[in-house]
Amino acid sequence: MARFFRRRKFCRFTAEGITEIDYKDVELLKGYISETGKIVPSRITGTSAKYQRQLASAIKRARYLALLPYTDSHK
Amino acid sequence: MRHYEIVLLVHPDQSEQVPAMVERYTNVVTEAGGTVHRHEDWGRRQLAFPIQEIHKAHYILLNVEVSDESISDLKTTFRFNDAILRSLVLRRKTAVTEASPMMKSVEAKKAKDEAQAAARAPRTEEATTEEAEESASEE
Repeated sequence: MARFFRRRKFCRFTAEGITEIDYKDVELLKGYISETGKIVPSRITGTSAKYQRQLASAIKRARYLALLPYTDSHK
Repeated sequence: MRHYEIVLLVHPDQSEQVPAMVERYTNVVTEAGGTVHRHEDWGRRQLAFPIQEIHKAHYILLNVEVSDESISDLKTTFRFNDAILRSLVLRRKTAVTEASPMMKSVEAKKAKDEAQAAARAPRTEEATTEEAEESASEE
């Protein structure tokens, strides 16, 4: 039987001790949106629920300020 | 008195007015007995998507400590200012004074540009001296 060894996912924010996710840190947030501009679910990234909530609101604020795209089909 | 964080997107054609605008708003804040804890100018940045068919905007960040009434006054002035494309006002728990990650990247880019300009400058100087020598030999 084939056994798959997946790399264990971990929450970057818990590991690095980031207490507050800043909507102004665009480079960080870019790592958590897909190519189409969607927020990547925590089951993929391994982000803990506490930080996923913060991450979602940070991304939404950055989108409002046009720092991040809402979609890839903006004109 | 509460702490607020304000981000403003100014129309790129009104970029020259930005210092005057910021001064006006800081005056509003200080006259009401508040303080400005942080002021950052991110300069003109490319927008991730066009707003009102504009592709660039001048970003300003302000962290202020003001009363309820004056922040609502500020919000209405932002709304009725045609030069401001968008504004975001957030409550903050504490006064934030250190540089934001955005400002750090802006400064890093500026330093890089200056280094490149400095690297280019000696070459142009050499060129001018060579020209001078050439003209001297011609004589």
